[in-house]
Amino acid sequence: MSLYQLQKLIYHVNRDGAQRERYRQDPAAFVKNYELTDDEARAALAVDVRALYGMGVHSLLLRPFTLLHKVSNEDYARALKGLE
Amino acid sequence: MPIVFACAASHAPGMTAWTEAAPREQAENFLGSYRRLGERLAASKPDVIVALTVEHWANFFLNSMPTFCIGRAAHYEGPIEEWLRIPKARVPGDRKLAEEMIDACLDGGFDPTFSDELLFDHATFLPLHFLNPNMAVPVVPVILNTLTPPMPTAKRCFAFGRFLGDLLERNQKRIAVIATGGLSHWPGEAKHGKINISFDEQFLATLVAGDRARLSQYTHEEINTEAGSGGHEIRTWIALAGAVQTWKAKLVAYEPVVPWATGCGLVEFSR
Repeated sequence: MSLYQLQKLIYHVNRDGAQRERYRQDPAAFVKNYELTDDEARAALAVDVRALYGMGVHSLLLRPFTLLHKVSNEDYARALKGLE
Repeated sequence: MPIVFACAASHAPGMTAWTEAAPREQAENFLGSYRRLGERLAASKPDVIVALTVEHWANFFLNSMPTFCIGRAAHYEGPIEEWLRIPKARVPGDRKLAEEMIDACLDGGFDPTFSDELLFDHATFLPLHFLNPNMAVPVVPVILNTLTPPMPTAKRCFAFGRFLGDLLERNQKRIAVIATGGLSHWPGEAKHGKINISFDEQFLATLVAGDRARLSQYTHEEINTEAGSGGHEIRTWIALAGAVQTWKAKLVAYEPVVPWATGCGLVEFSR
């Protein structure tokens, strides 16, 4: 469990243009810069909204991260259905 | 001169980014009230605006999260959100006043961090868009951590606000104090879109009644459960109530705007 590292990755992609570009060019290599569990790395690479939310990623980090990946409001809400 | 104007206002990004998604009557009532509040702020002829505000991972991360931070930059740029439909602009700061505030805090039992560079996201920039539309009046941002726990208690926010209010009342400048955030909302959460109207109305009634004891008693758990992760921003309103604690609060507008996913409130204080 390395929520701090997972959120740090997302924060960097959201907020730092240079890091975002490196992430876009090679996501698999980029996530290796963070101390993530296999599940966390998989969830980040898959932009698995439900898994990332369940791991405790802050909603105001997660939603901008998913917007960068063109996740619509409807798809985002669908991914979290039942977690209310 | 003392504090010449005080108001608290919500800052839901939908107000500008997807204005037309809201029912027309709600949007016109709320945003019209917001603009008129800005006209009254301008009529008070402030030299500077002290903004009790928050942020959403724009400047700070978990490597270092200040509980209170006072900005002493020469200017601030925003908004960071390309999609907010508010033109990018630079708003001047007021380093002298910020330094006076920081020094007084350190002398007086509060220990805020300070920053010479802060970006403004919608939390600060959206209220300024309505309240300081030409971005001409300099701003001193005072950021409260309402983003991630542990957060300052309501009691501490009220006391911090009271301390700042006493200080600003003795300042030579004409000062407008604004608070921004809330009311109930659950941004990006599974409950996104929920608005707790009864909580919002009860909080607004508490402000209008001037029930300072109750304002200081809100707990983290109560706010989190009843007003959501975004509701924690009411700490800025509580701080403002401390800053102008002898003033009378008046409800200017309240609209629970579902497409903006936020209980939207405007409160103005007067002597």
